[in-house]
Amino acid sequence: MATEQRTRDGGDATTGPVTLVVRWMENLSETQFAYLLLTPALLLLAVIALWPLLSTFEMSLHADSLSGGVGELYSIDELFANYYDVITGKRNALMPSPFLPTELSLNAIFASALGVTLVFTLVSVFFETIVGFGQALVLNQDFRGRRWVRVAIIIPWAVPIVIQGMIFYLMFQPGIGLFVGQEGNPALLQQLGLIGGTPLADAQDATMIIIVADIWKTTAFMALLILAGLQSVDRNLYDVARVAGASKWQAFKKITLPIVLPTVLVAMLFRTIQAMRVYGIIETMAGCEVVPSLSCLVITSFDNTLNATAATVAFITAGIIAIVVSVYIVKYARDEMG
Amino acid sequence: MGVVNRTLDMVREDDSHESTRNVNRRDFVKAAGATGTAVGLAGCIGGGGGGSSPTSTTGGDTGTVTGPTTIQLAADDNFKGKQQGINDLLHENGVSDDISIEILGGSFVSSGRQSKYKNILNAGQTKPTIFMMDNGWTIPFIVRDQIANLSQELSSDVVSTVKEDYVDTMVATASMDGDLYGIPLFADFPTMQYRKDLLREAGYSDSDFDTWATESMTWQKFSNVVADAKEAHPDMTGYNFQGAAYIGLSCCDFVEFMSSWGGSYFGEFDNLFGPVGDRPITVDEQPVVDAINMVRHFIYGENPGGKFGDYAGNISPEAVVQYKEESSRKPFANGNVLFHRNWPYSIKISGAEDAFGTDLGAMPIPYGVEASSSDYGPEIGGIPSALGGWHLTLNPNAPADKKAAGREVLSALTNKNVQMGLFELGGWTPPVPSRINSSRAQDLDLIGRYVDTLAVASKNAVPRPVTRVWPQEAQQINKEVNAAFKRDKSASKAVSDLKAALEQIEESV
Repeated sequence: MATEQRTRDGGDATTGPVTLVVRWMENLSETQFAYLLLTPALLLLAVIALWPLLSTFEMSLHADSLSGGVGELYSIDELFANYYDVITGKRNALMPSPFLPTELSLNAIFASALGVTLVFTLVSVFFETIVGFGQALVLNQDFRGRRWVRVAIIIPWAVPIVIQGMIFYLMFQPGIGLFVGQEGNPALLQQLGLIGGTPLADAQDATMIIIVADIWKTTAFMALLILAGLQSVDRNLYDVARVAGASKWQAFKKITLPIVLPTVLVAMLFRTIQAMRVYGIIETMAGCEVVPSLSCLVITSFDNTLNATAATVAFITAGIIAIVVSVYIVKYARDEMG
Repeated sequence: MGVVNRTLDMVREDDSHESTRNVNRRDFVKAAGATGTAVGLAGCIGGGGGGSSPTSTTGGDTGTVTGPTTIQLAADDNFKGKQQGINDLLHENGVSDDISIEILGGSFVSSGRQSKYKNILNAGQTKPTIFMMDNGWTIPFIVRDQIANLSQELSSDVVSTVKEDYVDTMVATASMDGDLYGIPLFADFPTMQYRKDLLREAGYSDSDFDTWATESMTWQKFSNVVADAKEAHPDMTGYNFQGAAYIGLSCCDFVEFMSSWGGSYFGEFDNLFGPVGDRPITVDEQPVVDAINMVRHFIYGENPGGKFGDYAGNISPEAVVQYKEESSRKPFANGNVLFHRNWPYSIKISGAEDAFGTDLGAMPIPYGVEASSSDYGPEIGGIPSALGGWHLTLNPNAPADKKAAGREVLSALTNKNVQMGLFELGGWTPPVPSRINSSRAQDLDLIGRYVDTLAVASKNAVPRPVTRVWPQEAQQINKEVNAAFKRDKSASKAVSDLKAALEQIEESV
């Protein structure tokens, strides 16, 4: 304010601070200017994303303290004791579920946080991509009532996770749900041997049901993202393909897929990150005791005042997600360059 | 990097259309400067306003209630629903009219409220003044030094009344080193609830029901009664309870099965509350294995170990391994189950006129061995009943005047009329044995019919072994016991795994 006043009063217009700043900015190169404009966003990111991450890391270097907060910082030669204990299973008795499987068996994999999270992520993202792609291809066609079908497909995605969890919980609750029969009168899925008598208490059954619930809900998300990619394909290319005598499959392989692939990769990236963090649907359907995902492990450890252990698992989880994400980013970069 | 590069590409692209660029850098700086100034000024005004607001009204640090004071009490939604009634009750019984209580509702899921209170107290918040805490997790708050020591806050009369008259196992869950940190608000005792109408059809009579109401039977007799009743009603489920892998299994259902056979997690009763790391771990003893095998016999009729030949098997549905309180109560309330183990709230629902009414019967939980033949008797063994219930505790960070009001309310809870009033108002069982089946309690609507059974249960209440490592231990217990119930492991394998885990936990402290 004061500066402007002075300028207007005929003060030294060539050396005022605002003028100096403007002149400095005008002399920046385009690259420098771009970074300058990005600075506030990057600062914000550092404060709300980077700082908590570093703080979590710092917490994970302390000992647990059952009386609250965290214990003492480990000495330098055993700085990573928490990581060592969590990964080697030395802390299994204190944690609600082991981080890695304790042995090589299906039961042990489904009882461990990393095992069950990876199974969930791989299976759910795979099916969501396939089904979502199919839905997107159908929605990309011209037919009467297409708008309504689009709305119908997105409805599951709009259902809140807790409500969805309750719906599936009730469907598989003995004595209430339609998918679980009495001992003498099993329901269809039980006759087929797909689920047992108490699916939500069994780690494998419950994981499978949670995967189905997740596919039901988030396929719509995949379909919408992929549909957006499909819409950007130039229709003229198909005409050229037809004239050149290409079959439908060839047209899909040579035109649709290469153009849509980057979009599919981005959609899969989003879904993978979300799937690695799965928590809400587990907690409302089967409980973290039955399906102990990585996020479950963080939260249950934290609730048990194992704050440093919780921070350790959280940081490892972030690291694993970062690795998975970088796989996509490398692939994406290659696609873009290629 | 990819994102940055693309942004730069866009900048370059913009550059090539110099004539179409609407905002030049000079304008941008002006706009940004003006916005920044505006935000700065707004922030300044906001901050100034905040700073000058009269927040420091708690100046009179006299520790007495000098004017109208409202204190907050964090409880559950049932209590919130009776806020007016509870205020009236307290005012009629000596609490100053100046004090009013605002009751905050909360989740019925005990662990949800535990984490919430932990966060509030960790942050040193001054509100609420009083917390309602589960007897299963009050001790960890005491260990963390987060709640007020009532032996110092309340008069010695009140403290000695609590120590002498109340259910002593419950007082133990709110005490440490002889000091009292919580006033028991109400107690909860499980019972076996059943359908008299259907049992009459199976040949049992009202005189049987009268006997059962106060005299516990053995598991052997019980299983055969259930089997008889099931024979008369083949479409119905015999007996259900809560066997899911959750805190309710470790604190309650399994404590009952185990102690009914004379088994214990940590040997003698005196070891239940510590010292952690310096007490025997006795979960792998025979009574504990027997308890698991009996349950498996009830579910699958397989009689592992051959001990239960004259016990009826197949009386419980496989679904018990997935059941918690509500999921097991609903089939019972729907009329599909003959016998059901649950807390008194279920009696209130199923015993209502529009439900089963007087056809609802209740009896103490059956037992395996007499208390006298238990290694850890007389407290452990014989008729088992897990101890449930809640304490009221005081927030040490509350302002002095609120704390004074809180002290007045806590002291009033030891008043007989307040306890009986709460029993009448919401069915909250007094934590004082002599009052549970007093003549005034017998006259109560509905719950009055069952107070004799509750009184028997109160005399045999076994608390869970709450220490600072109990949350971790409970988790391992429910995991292993549930696995054995599901037949993922044999009983002996489950208890030896459990013992190893418990040893590791005990040594970690």
